[in-house]
Amino acid sequence: MNRSGPTVGSILATSLPAAAAIAVFGTLYGAGARPILGAELTVASSLLIFSGSLQFALVVLLSAGAAAPALLLTAGTLNLRHLVLGAVLRPRMGGSWLRRAGHAFFLLDETFGFAVAAGDAAEREGRGADAAAQRTLLVSGVGCYVAWQTGTVLGVLGAGFPGVAGMAGAIFPVLFIGLASLACRSRSDAVRALSAAALTGGLAFALPGLRALAPVFVGVLVALPREKP
Amino acid sequence: MSPIVVAVIALITYASRAAALALLPRPGGRFAAVLARVPAPIFASLATLSLVTDDRSFADGPIFFAALGALGMTPKRSLPLCLIGGIAGYALGELFF
Repeated sequence: MNRSGPTVGSILATSLPAAAAIAVFGTLYGAGARPILGAELTVASSLLIFSGSLQFALVVLLSAGAAAPALLLTAGTLNLRHLVLGAVLRPRMGGSWLRRAGHAFFLLDETFGFAVAAGDAAEREGRGADAAAQRTLLVSGVGCYVAWQTGTVLGVLGAGFPGVAGMAGAIFPVLFIGLASLACRSRSDAVRALSAAALTGGLAFALPGLRALAPVFVGVLVALPREKP
Repeated sequence: MSPIVVAVIALITYASRAAALALLPRPGGRFAAVLARVPAPIFASLATLSLVTDDRSFADGPIFFAALGALGMTPKRSLPLCLIGGIAGYALGELFF
């Protein structure tokens, strides 16, 4: 970080592990989607949709013979979480709506986390939270986008990283645990985070069909009670 | 899946991303206070979700150990240290599983 906010280099360094894991999952998507979608549409889907969880879900549905309405319904449902992520990020994002609309393309769970953490850090240091969050969303988003496209193309071409797939899967819990620790500013935040983890675990086992919505549903639910004075 | 369906899904996805971020006025008052409390639970929830698979079983042992390693570093409140803790935990998990 510097006085004007995080540098491009520092943002890329912070988001590199996530981008590397995204690239690995991109190869899995490319390899899995190619027999179903064909090479061109597989690459096009990554270029245009840029959402790993949704794209994997679409491939599973297509392989089970689902028709277009089911695909669109799934897209609508899985994307509901973006509304909450966008609303949480909104106070940290200034500028014109057009500028924010441009940044919105790069809104992922991971880039949301980096942007929130950067905005909060800038605020604590008395710098512009808006600029820090916006730049972080954009730079980490472009990094993750390039990683996802690279992984998809490699997967379509038959390449992969079988030796590191397990490690790539470990990046996401580690990343989100780290981001949760950064976002906890009080004991009350920590209690809310632990409650959310417990509730999500219960939901994932009890209602696996709703697991994609669990983070935003549970996140908002445990955020509702006021802080004790 | 036709190219048109891909395009419509891409449009739905982008619209969901832009709806709140671009069109929502800057929140204030109680709404802003609630939103400010949301990130930590969302991240904890996402972490938990990545430890439970779609078929209601737990992730592999090394992934759990990686999460434990990261958890051990949370008092430091540093992303790089959590990453180091995660890598150490993963390596330890590989030894056990």
